[in-house]
Amino acid sequence: MKKKLDVEKMTYAVLAIACFFIFWWFITTFTPAKETTPGPVEVIQLLFTSFFEPIGSHVITGHLLVSLRRVLVGFSVATVLGIVLGVAMGASKWAEAIFKPIFELLRPIPPIAWISLVILFFGIGEVSKYILCGIGAFTNVTLNAYTGAQNVDPELVGCARMLGTSERDIFFRVVLPSCTPQIFAGMQVALSTSWMAVLAAEMVGAQEGCGWMIQRGSDTLNITLVMVGMIVIGCVGMLLAAVMRVIERRLCAWNIMES
Amino acid sequence: MEHHGELTPIISLRHVGKTYMSVHRSNEVVRDVSLDVAENEFVVLFGPGQCGKTTLLNLIAGLQLPTAGEVYVDGKKVEAPGPDRGVVYQTTALFPFCTVMGNVEFGPKSRGVDKKTRRERAQYFIDLVGLQGFENSYPNRLSGGMRQRVGIARAYANDPKVMLMDEPFGHLDAQTRYMMEAELEKLWQKEKRTVVFVTNNSEEAVYLADRILILTNTPTHVKEEVRVDLPRPRQYSDPAFLAIRRRIEELCDDTL
Repeated sequence: MKKKLDVEKMTYAVLAIACFFIFWWFITTFTPAKETTPGPVEVIQLLFTSFFEPIGSHVITGHLLVSLRRVLVGFSVATVLGIVLGVAMGASKWAEAIFKPIFELLRPIPPIAWISLVILFFGIGEVSKYILCGIGAFTNVTLNAYTGAQNVDPELVGCARMLGTSERDIFFRVVLPSCTPQIFAGMQVALSTSWMAVLAAEMVGAQEGCGWMIQRGSDTLNITLVMVGMIVIGCVGMLLAAVMRVIERRLCAWNIMES
Repeated sequence: MEHHGELTPIISLRHVGKTYMSVHRSNEVVRDVSLDVAENEFVVLFGPGQCGKTTLLNLIAGLQLPTAGEVYVDGKKVEAPGPDRGVVYQTTALFPFCTVMGNVEFGPKSRGVDKKTRRERAQYFIDLVGLQGFENSYPNRLSGGMRQRVGIARAYANDPKVMLMDEPFGHLDAQTRYMMEAELEKLWQKEKRTVVFVTNNSEEAVYLADRILILTNTPTHVKEEVRVDLPRPRQYSDPAFLAIRRRIEELCDDTL
């Protein structure tokens, strides 16, 4: 029953993507858009040749690895900081009183707005790119960890106390595990945000990366290159989300209801 | 207060009162309760729906502190939660992120019992409540009755001096409830502990109790005490059983 449903879903997915490509091909072949917009054939051709012929300094896998490194470093550091700050705000009234107003003030500012300030303080090196990729992730993880820590069931904490658990153990064995599903939900969104921010990050004096490819394409009016960059960012983003889901399944098995 | 037999009581409440204070008004929930529970005695606190039964139990547990009087468990004044009192919750309060084994060994692990000893101990009680084979299951995969078995095993495995049970079968359907009552009784016969059991179900009270304390509506105090001297396991349809049941129900109705 379940298998059959999976097969059905896969069929629909493949059909939908095929329809998208056909639509794209149709528009770029039979409408005036063909003058300006490259069709799927051209884009896919460039995508394939870019595996062997370098664009700028690297072939496409090189650009991809550079971008991935930037995103993963920014995301990891942001996640750790976000969990610490979020759980602290949720668990301690003092931390909440001190950090929440600042956090609420900075939260709505999009990563792209930080570019000038980040360059001013950290230059145009890699650190700036890590920071720009991390900002969006940080707010997401912090917010989720905060809500998670606030909503820890007080009865579970009382129960652990009755069983003779120390306050330190209660934090590590009750409070933290209680927040993991929330934190993971935040990390899912955070990883996508970081990955999306790579374009902004690579506006800052970059010579390589997927974001740089799009910038470069746009500067040289090479729309095909822009589209290759978009496709790569889209596919890798989808893959990253899938990897996160697998990790979540492993770590939060207790929280997943199976029918 | 009367003492039972020659034993010194293991739980004593002396003129215990609990009043919730807020800025505008105060709400007296428990008024001047004094009672003793002997070692290995099964005492049921029986009272109407919203009376202060759970508050009274929480006062013994140390989860709340009295605003008047004192609570003693095993000669020591109760001032905070502690592992000498095991609690079985109506909501089960299982740790959802721990397996059955993880839940049952949670207390011993907290108190630094080495892995081999605590595993053996946890396994013993898991077997005793009939959950062998489910050691590695998470609570969200278990039925209501099974979850409450885990709750009972968890309390037992921490080896408390007294067990405090707050309507543990309140959420279960009637069929499961009868089964759990019978199993709890069997378990208690095998592993004798002092139990204070809260319920508003008269049948459950008479089936389980050595002694039933009838509580009034808030502010709660002990209205009457009824001993149940029927041989165990008891029969629900036994005329003597029904007579006691009728009596405690009448006593309880009078308190309303």
